Amino acid sequence: MTPAPLVRYHEVRFAYAGSERPALDGVTFAAAEGEGVALFGANGAGKSTILRLAMGLERGASGAVESAGLDATTAPPEAIATVAGFLFQQPETQLFEPTVARDVAFGPRCLGWDTARIEAAVRGSLEEVGLGAVADVHPYDLPAPHRRLVALAAVLATGPRLLLLDEPTAALDRASRETVRRVVRRRRDAGVTVLAVTHDGEFALEALDRALLVDRGRIVADDSVVSLLGRPGAPDLPAPAVLARRLGLRVPVPRTADVLEALLGALPQPSAPR
Amino acid sequence: MEAPLSAVVLDGLTFQYAGAPGNALDDVSFAVPAGEICWLYGRPGAGTSTLLLAAAGLAPRLTGGTVRGAVTVTGQDPQTDDGRKALRGRVAHATSAPDLQLSGIGATVGEEVAFAPANLSWPIERIRPAVEAALARLGIAHLAARQPAALSGGEKQRVVLASLAVLEPPVWLLDDAGSALDAEGRRILAALIRAEAARGAAVLVASEDADAMAELAHRVILLDRGRVAWDGSPHALLSQELAWEHGPGSTAIAEIARAAWLRAAGQKFAPAWPLDPDEAAARWS
Repeated sequence: MTPAPLVRYHEVRFAYAGSERPALDGVTFAAAEGEGVALFGANGAGKSTILRLAMGLERGASGAVESAGLDATTAPPEAIATVAGFLFQQPETQLFEPTVARDVAFGPRCLGWDTARIEAAVRGSLEEVGLGAVADVHPYDLPAPHRRLVALAAVLATGPRLLLLDEPTAALDRASRETVRRVVRRRRDAGVTVLAVTHDGEFALEALDRALLVDRGRIVADDSVVSLLGRPGAPDLPAPAVLARRLGLRVPVPRTADVLEALLGALPQPSAPR
Repeated sequence: MEAPLSAVVLDGLTFQYAGAPGNALDDVSFAVPAGEICWLYGRPGAGTSTLLLAAAGLAPRLTGGTVRGAVTVTGQDPQTDDGRKALRGRVAHATSAPDLQLSGIGATVGEEVAFAPANLSWPIERIRPAVEAALARLGIAHLAARQPAALSGGEKQRVVLASLAVLEPPVWLLDDAGSALDAEGRRILAALIRAEAARGAAVLVASEDADAMAELAHRVILLDRGRVAWDGSPHALLSQELAWEHGPGSTAIAEIARAAWLRAAGQKFAPAWPLDPDEAAARWS
């Protein structure tokens, strides 16, 4: 038996005000608890719009959008905010408090949590993104990649059951990308559903399983991440996966760690150092 | 004939943000000649963004802080009013946040890209073909009549890049300006950078993407806590331990090669590490 979907789109059509061309033109899919879904597609295909609708950030869509049991086309955004979290493409969109800790506390405060619970949530989510040490720093005094991780911590603090991430690894350094991958995996293991718009093939391979390819407002493919990488509009196949192919290594999902293991296993064992 | 002039010269450049305990840039000196693609690399907070802001004349003017030492761009000092006036339209600075950079005045993408040329008093018969060419270069001719604010993040980044490319600037300062681009957009940006350098522009690129820059850059400056830790060939830096010691690491393939070396320590995996699948396959198959 398949579990009930946590997020569901049915025949969704949507056009931005003043635009005659539809941003979404009949989008239907669903994702279950704990599922991680990448949204691939060329710039302007409609990926971010799909995310925004699940958060209730756009109104006027036809069809159905359900987020954790709420009708996202009519429910007030503050109701959706109790079950879903949204990471914007530019962290500057969602950071506005004088300290990192206050920014992360904003969501829990809005939900009316008591002080002790807020403090624990702030500490926990800052530690989750590895930024426990900068709680009292002004967010804009941090380097841009860390600012982005602060925005992610703020999204995590309320414990959303649905994570909507718009390019969560864009402009991040390798260590921060690794942090985001780890956070997504851990939250998914705890049952959180993740939809992520991404052009980062490595992130999709490491942290997500399934991918939708979006083209001009429609979903044109729905498959595993590994089978959609390299298709027009999707990210290129990451270098470790290309290497695995080149060397004929048998790695069904060519994540970096798996390619490394296959590489060590396939090659003649090195002689012991003299 | 003019003597060949370094397009961007830093001489002992030191920068401190207000209230910060240390220097964001600490005695940084190097020169980037015309035609060079110079990659600025470092861990978060290493100073690459600050360096580009100082060269653009935006730091400390907009950021606050204090600057010492000298920076000149095509012979002008962007830290002075006269220098900035002389540099109008000659320095293309772009970041990963296109929303902060679009003028908000152009009602269409075409008007947005025409905004700077019009302000520089180009005649309309020069503006029109130049705008068309810039839109085509970024692959966004089909967006010319659209409203900039209604575009997706990646499309906005292309519009910002087109609005700079139209000026054919002698100096580019790109700070992760391709972060939201799709795979095709990344190829377009790489081609733009190559073409601009071939035209004679100096292109400074701050980027975390070692895989892309290993192929693209002529030279890399590695910054470690505001100081120059390496100035030279990207290939040489990325294939040795220095990239981890003083920087954020290397390409995905070099990361695998290094991990294999740390695990197995066989000569097959010894440094210098390969950087891409071709190099690795040649060495390991």
